[in-house]
Amino acid sequence: MTSTSLATPENRTASPATMQALATLNDRLAAKPAAHLRVEKLSIAYSTARGPFHAVDDVSFEVKPGTNLGLVGESGCGKSTVIKALIGLQPEGTKVSGQALLDGQEILGLSERALQDVRWTKISLITQSAMNSLDPVYCIGDQICEAIQAHESVSRATAWARAEEMFALVGLPASRLHDFPHQFSGGMRQRTVIAMALALNAGMLLADEPTTALDPIMQSQIMSRIRGIHEHMRRSMILVTHDIAVVAETCENTVVMYAGKVAEKGPTTDVLARPLHPYTMGLQNAFPRLPVKGQPRQALISIPGIVPNLLRPPPGCRFAGRCPFATERCHIEAPAVTAVGAQSAACHYIDRAPEFREAAARPETWRKLGAGA
Amino acid sequence: MRAYILRRLAQSVLVIWAVTTIMFFMFRVMPADPTAILLERGLSDEARNALLEQWGLTGSLWDQYVAYLGNLLVGDFGSSFLYRKPVWEVLTPLIINTLWIAVPGLLLGAALGAAIGTAVGWARRGGKLERTGIFLATVIRGVPNFVIGIALLTVFSSTLGWFPGFGMGDPGQNVGFARYFTLDFLHHLALPLIAVIIYFMPENLLLMRSGVVENRTEDYIELVRAKGVSQGRVAWHAARNSMLPLITWLFPALAETIAGIVVIEIVFSWPGVGRELVLAVTRQDYPVAQAAFFLLAVMIVLANLAADLVYGKLDPRVVYK
Ligand SMILES: Nc1ncnc2c1ncn2[C@@H]1O[C@H](COP(=O)(O)OP(=O)(O)O)[C@@H](O)[C@H]1O
Ligand code: SF4
Ligand SMILES: [Mg+2]
Repeated sequence: MTSTSLATPENRTASPATMQALATLNDRLAAKPAAHLRVEKLSIAYSTARGPFHAVDDVSFEVKPGTNLGLVGESGCGKSTVIKALIGLQPEGTKVSGQALLDGQEILGLSERALQDVRWTKISLITQSAMNSLDPVYCIGDQICEAIQAHESVSRATAWARAEEMFALVGLPASRLHDFPHQFSGGMRQRTVIAMALALNAGMLLADEPTTALDPIMQSQIMSRIRGIHEHMRRSMILVTHDIAVVAETCENTVVMYAGKVAEKGPTTDVLARPLHPYTMGLQNAFPRLPVKGQPRQALISIPGIVPNLLRPPPGCRFAGRCPFATERCHIEAPAVTAVGAQSAACHYIDRAPEFREAAARPETWRKLGAGA
Repeated sequence: MRAYILRRLAQSVLVIWAVTTIMFFMFRVMPADPTAILLERGLSDEARNALLEQWGLTGSLWDQYVAYLGNLLVGDFGSSFLYRKPVWEVLTPLIINTLWIAVPGLLLGAALGAAIGTAVGWARRGGKLERTGIFLATVIRGVPNFVIGIALLTVFSSTLGWFPGFGMGDPGQNVGFARYFTLDFLHHLALPLIAVIIYFMPENLLLMRSGVVENRTEDYIELVRAKGVSQGRVAWHAARNSMLPLITWLFPALAETIAGIVVIEIVFSWPGVGRELVLAVTRQDYPVAQAAFFLLAVMIVLANLAADLVYGKLDPRVVYK
């Protein structure tokens, strides 16, 4: 697997010795296997002036080597909180419990020093707001080289040559490495951040809404770029998005989060074709689906209401306040996770899912609720 | 870029001309007779008139002004009334003396302030280091700098006797250029230099701290951390970005700082140009006072220009038009 062979930047300036060093570096990096991540009972509470804020509660999932996991849910459901905890970037004072085993190594609760060795070599990050994710006073190339040289003892010329290859990989000309962030468009910055995340061929990529800040055309360009790279480099990846259509195209497995909890998870095809949780059904309605031949185009239906305040989480099912199928029981008793094959969901009425799916496809099911609330 | 510098230089010349003109007329309208000092030593009327003539104080104000500007253009500041020597000869050694405390004092003050400010800004919010740092800096900033000077003198000179408290060298030491290379000189230099550092540091420290505090929560710092570089390196990114506001403040603040150095020179009887400036004004030694003000104006204008250029070097987003 020569992950970098497709990168052939034009205007190569490197000397033969540098090219030799680069080849050695590339071989070393290409030998890294894709990572295996197992997250068990992850709970995260921010410390706030009004007490602990339980942004993430008892979340478990697994990313098999070389696969792509989609993490979906509305804004504020705790997706970024999970991602940040996995790379140790939670704010000071945040309580993180549970386990996250990256290739068997516990990565939660590591010291800052120990984190330094894990970050970027084993797990790297494509940030949500690439607009502000680059240091305005350093040229782009320097910022990529900084990541490479922090972990690999190579010369700057070699690191720069590697950065040129990463730039080619994301479709940017090597000469622009000398530019500063303010000279780049949003799309170019996002590509830069992707190139940076790939620089050390980490086994695990965390991509937190990598396209949200971009216009729709740029969004689909960047997403197909990410898909191409994923297919080519076969890294393991968690892709955070609130767009369920993106997950359908990109991810083998899906975790649907609602209000800090896993609502549903499983193989993407199952989760999208036969959602078990009413929230997943609602999310599907809220995004434009690719039109299916022979079926009428579906209208967009948004889920009325908002995510509950997690300073005082509701006692029963967290979705109960917005769920069109909620019963008395739902408001009192938190639903357990029930598995159906590889798929599982936290809903009291999993057995009624087929009936729910039919009802959920009808706009009035959700509208009634909105009027009632 | 070149056009920008040229335009800025032209502006600078204009500013310096304006300052010079104002100074010139201010000294002329002051109802005082510069020959008074000499009269006390028994000067005849004839001699007095000859002196006035020689000093260019006869003729209409306009004629005097034109003559003064003409002389300035060829670098001639005239002669000191008091010392009866060309102003340049009087001022040059004094300027050098001032530079000895000003340049290292300001550089060290800025550098130490920036370094400590970064540490304080990077420290845990609400922690001991942060609170002590802010407290000390705020207190020192609030203290007038002659008090700092007098406190240093009281403790280290009068009480402990570690350092001399007066002037630049003990009598009987080397004079001229060689004196700058004696231990005695360094011994005398220490206290006024420390006073300049203490005086200049707090503002730098506080500005740097607030810059770092602001920058440390920026998204780009998060990504730098995520890359797994050392903590020092992460702090450096925040510091590097915080230098931008510091620079915008630093150079223009030199004007105010120079006023502070004048006070420190007086407190420590340091024979610098600032102390001489004050003396010259009280003695109505116009040529010396005017020349000193002229030099100050040039320095301040150049400092502002330097601030712009340094800023542009540090911040790639700046375009000179
Ligand atoms: N630093 C923080 N302190 C307190 N609450 C936070 C902090 N960051 C995020 N939150 C809250 O945690 C919840 C989850 O946020 P986040 O993980 O960013 O959601 P998502 O990425 O799914 O949109 C939100 O309600 C948000 O307001
Ligand atoms: S448990 Fe009740 S409220 Fe929650 S999703 Fe299922 S039906 Fe809706
Ligand atoms: Mg988010």
